[in-house]
Amino acid sequence: MQDGETCVMGFEVPSSPESSYNNPIPRNEDEARDPPIAPPHLQHTLLSYSASQEGSGSLPSPQNVILNHLYIENREAPRSVVALGITHRFRSKFVTVILYKPVRRR
Amino acid sequence: MFSSGMDASQDLSGTVGAVLIPTRFVWPHGGRRVFLTGSFTRWSDHLPMSPVEGCHTVFQAICNLTPGLHQYKFYVDGEWRHDENQPYVSGNYGVVNSLFLTGEPDPVPSVVSPGTPSRINMDVDNEHFRRVQVTLSGCSAPETALRISEADIELTRHQISNFLSASTSYDLLPDSGKVIVLDVNLPVKQAFHILYEQGIPVAPLLDFHSGQFVGMLSALDFILILRELGNCGSSEEELETHTISAWKAGKWQRYDQLDAHGRPLERRLVHAGPFDTLKDVAIKILQNEVATIPIIHSSSPDGSFPQLLHLASLSEILRCICRHFRHSSSSLPILQQPICNIPLGSWVPKIGEANRRPLAMLTPNASLGSALSLLVQARVSCIPIVDGNNSLLDTYSRSDITALAKDRAYAHVHLDEMKIHQALQIGQDSTSHGFSSAQKCHMCLRSDSLQKVMEQLSSPGVRRVIIVEAGSMRVEGIISLSDLFRLFMGWPGN
Repeated sequence: MQDGETCVMGFEVPSSPESSYNNPIPRNEDEARDPPIAPPHLQHTLLSYSASQEGSGSLPSPQNVILNHLYIENREAPRSVVALGITHRFRSKFVTVILYKPVRRR
Repeated sequence: MFSSGMDASQDLSGTVGAVLIPTRFVWPHGGRRVFLTGSFTRWSDHLPMSPVEGCHTVFQAICNLTPGLHQYKFYVDGEWRHDENQPYVSGNYGVVNSLFLTGEPDPVPSVVSPGTPSRINMDVDNEHFRRVQVTLSGCSAPETALRISEADIELTRHQISNFLSASTSYDLLPDSGKVIVLDVNLPVKQAFHILYEQGIPVAPLLDFHSGQFVGMLSALDFILILRELGNCGSSEEELETHTISAWKAGKWQRYDQLDAHGRPLERRLVHAGPFDTLKDVAIKILQNEVATIPIIHSSSPDGSFPQLLHLASLSEILRCICRHFRHSSSSLPILQQPICNIPLGSWVPKIGEANRRPLAMLTPNASLGSALSLLVQARVSCIPIVDGNNSLLDTYSRSDITALAKDRAYAHVHLDEMKIHQALQIGQDSTSHGFSSAQKCHMCLRSDSLQKVMEQLSSPGVRRVIIVEAGSMRVEGIISLSDLFRLFMGWPGN
């Protein structure tokens, strides 16, 4: 193939306007923010729904990105009980299990 | 196409007091409008036949015939036809089908008097149809109320047993469910609060070190703990350090005699797998006299790494039954019977029935301690609270004990001084579980059909229905979920 220098009569490539190019030095604003600690979709857990027996039907379907992730309850420091939660799939149904464990005092 | 309430009055017996045999006539060769006529209709009345559900070329009608020889023919879309697959003869009307009924009576023969219209049962899929009794519509006076036949009960049991054996406990799982588990080393006090805050009556227990589920914590445990507190004067601090595992170990030593069959109580967790049939789950619940059992799946053969899937109860199984039979309720013949005619539940013994166990009831001024003792000793899960006339005011159930966790009321409660109505008041004041007493007590009348009571019992959270007299609200009896399932499984009642 020939170089890009040759062109056909009447099909010359027009030159770019001067103002479309500049050369700024990259600033820090994009890098000022830290990346998120955890993927943000992990916030959509089912753990805050109440498990009351009188509840009408089941919880909403979980997004599959939160399955098989272990969550720990965020409570203030002096606590004797901690709650751990996980949502997993069994065949085509989902189960959210919450375990209450005692916290050993140091 | 046909409504189940069709009350065609088809009294076809000419003789008074004759034994009638319900007989099904089937026309399987299609058509749009099919009529049946025969010697039993004096060849003048045409009986409309109804298409069988799901198969529109098959029509059927059911008539009560005296024993003997009958002839019949079908009028299909304007022309007379006979069924060539059935015996037929040539007669005055051309070729007619003939049928000879032997006069053998059914086990409990029904005598139809000419004045009473008999309800034709237009039903399908009924193998045992010739044995089904014709029921009289319009109940007669209570003294001569019909007891339903054993055949009806057996048929109902058979149908329900077939359905339960064909479904597994996987069907009970909601699409996205939630279960709360407690570590067995939690202090009892924390566990109490968790059950109260989460609004659940029972929770499975996990031993974290072995990774196995070892038991369940229920309201009955708290009732026993509170009675211990009252008796031994233990303090609230002891509740804080006393772990569930220590409590369970002590309980098995102390309450070994509670088993009704004289055997030592089952130590191992009663549970079921997701592929067990609903029938097995129901039997396990009834045999172990519990309300819920966990459904646990273990992918490895030695049972390690168990996965807890769900807590199954009789209420959910009943909901499956109701959903399944909702549109074919005539296949369970006892469903339309009033509950007073069915051997079901515990009833207040009438005068003269001295050998019946009295129904446990209390007045609002009875002490909480007496209520708890009654719950434990009578092995019931609910006590109706009545006034002086035995009219129902409220109920106290085992699960009401968790209301005492509000504001740590259990710490300053003296069981023998607190009255039941005060304990119930604490429960109603709590805002997170605001049931009015009307919602709590589920009531029915003795004339309500079994189907209506079943629908009530299949609401979530309802475990028993109280039978009251209309108007005065006097308590006549209680029907619980386990009573209903004992009837379905054919177990001896009470």
